[in-house]
Amino acid sequence: MPGHASRRRREAWFGIGLLLPSVLLVLTFTLFPVGYNVWLGFFAKHSLRATSTWVGLGNYAQILGDPDFWRSVWLATVYAVGSTTLQIFAGVAGALILHQRFAGCDFLRGVALFPYMIPTVIAVFVWRWLMNDLYGVIPYMLGTLHVPGVPAAWLSHGTIMWVLIILSVWTFFPFVLVNVLARLQTIPPELYDAARVDGASAVRQFVHVTLPQLRNVLLIVLLLRGIWMFTKFDVPWLLGFGGGAGEAIRTLPVFTYQRSFTYYQAGMGAALSNVMLALLLMAVTVYFIAFPPAEEENDA
Amino acid sequence: MPDTRRRRGRPASRTAAWALRAGLFAFCAFPLYWMVVSSFKVSHELLASPPTFWPHEWELRAYRKLFYETNFWTYFQNTVIVSALTTVIVLVAGVIGAYSLTRYAFRGRTLVARLTLLAYMFPPIIMLVPLFLLARQLGLVNSIPGLALTYISFALPYALWILRAFFQSIPVELEHAALTDGANRAQALVYVVMPLALPGIIATAIFTFIVAWNDFLFALVLIGQDELKTLAIGINEFFHMAVVDWGLIMAAGVMVTIPALVFFIAVQRYLIAGWGAGGLKG
Repeated sequence: MPGHASRRRREAWFGIGLLLPSVLLVLTFTLFPVGYNVWLGFFAKHSLRATSTWVGLGNYAQILGDPDFWRSVWLATVYAVGSTTLQIFAGVAGALILHQRFAGCDFLRGVALFPYMIPTVIAVFVWRWLMNDLYGVIPYMLGTLHVPGVPAAWLSHGTIMWVLIILSVWTFFPFVLVNVLARLQTIPPELYDAARVDGASAVRQFVHVTLPQLRNVLLIVLLLRGIWMFTKFDVPWLLGFGGGAGEAIRTLPVFTYQRSFTYYQAGMGAALSNVMLALLLMAVTVYFIAFPPAEEENDA
Repeated sequence: MPDTRRRRGRPASRTAAWALRAGLFAFCAFPLYWMVVSSFKVSHELLASPPTFWPHEWELRAYRKLFYETNFWTYFQNTVIVSALTTVIVLVAGVIGAYSLTRYAFRGRTLVARLTLLAYMFPPIIMLVPLFLLARQLGLVNSIPGLALTYISFALPYALWILRAFFQSIPVELEHAALTDGANRAQALVYVVMPLALPGIIATAIFTFIVAWNDFLFALVLIGQDELKTLAIGINEFFHMAVVDWGLIMAAGVMVTIPALVFFIAVQRYLIAGWGAGGLKG
């Protein structure tokens, strides 16, 4: 039936028409910047002036020869690996705790989500206050324990990375928690019955029943969190800059921001963004080779 | 582990379970508790050593200063406006787009769905310089709609992804019934699909709102005028005053978070339902 076919085609075009505005908007704001960045990376350009000068690979040569750049890559890696690992542990532990039903469990779930929901600025400033070198309550409490080797001033060069990592775990572990909790609730209880009949302990049940079921969720969460922690700008910036030991947590995103908006080197900033993207693509490729995604219905 | 749901467990393991719950609660809530009490302490007590865990004296000095000596309400208003604008547009575009992705057959449909996931993973810092230059070209610097536009582009891929998952779970037969009863597509969407997808729509709305409400980076780069600043950058500036007033900063934190805390505890059911279908960027 030709009428039927043309009706179907009209329907399809209508469907595309409904989606087009969204697709165009997202493309303008993601694909275009990536392309524009590649182009900009070849220029020396002031962020606020219209003129630009072609420098070829000059920006990249300068980046690769800059020890501050390599340091920022290292710091971003330390930050991403440290905070992501701890978030995964805290998130899985939290999910296991909240998976049970108990009096006040809805309330505790709400509280556990909360660190993720509050504005980053607030989270960072609260932690700056908690860890304040002179008046902070956490250094005070640690001091009362009289454990040798625990520093008294945490926001200094040697220890600020720890504060950054702990604060980030506090802020972002609910993301892991909720994704894992949602998956835990879909594990059929029968799987545990079999294990219990075999006399498996709680730990063995976790390792042999729960963990395999969580594998895909954890792989995706690990990837997302790793990418987002490596590229996190606001937390290290707000923690370390405007006084303090910012140098010690000048990660690659902070370094890129400073090039672009403190020194107004837009071309250099763009080149750094490209390097960041290239590093991420390499890491993601290696990740997918190491952990090929198994086909599963769960789209977490 | 589900063990305890079946059997009550031995007293020792029950005590351990409560200890773990208390630990989780303390880890999440103590920083917030400290923020609240710090905002009410008098200045000398705020800086007292050892710190007092329950204030001896309470006062509203910090709040008075916040309301009368800073532009807090302006920042608050701007943040509400930009967040609401972002949420409304993302919801409309997201619902229509997700409907198209699940109810119309056309080539590239799955590709678009995959790309939304890719765009969702994409870190915003990489787009910083080009978006700033683009915004300057288009006259969108120092403009609330311009800021909203960037947030919309960040939140929309995720909204499409999560709404698509919800729409997929709604049987098409229900709409066919409505269509044969003489309803048109728009009516079927509004009266059949949307009520069933309501948890997903609420979750999407909350997540989108948070993207805009919490953003620091793009507000920092795109907004320079004080009367257009959002809370994130406005509060950041309290930190750059000659003497850092911790009471003021904590009071601002309370004003931004406590209404939200009440709200999130009320809607956490939807959050977890929605989160199960995706995640939230940040």
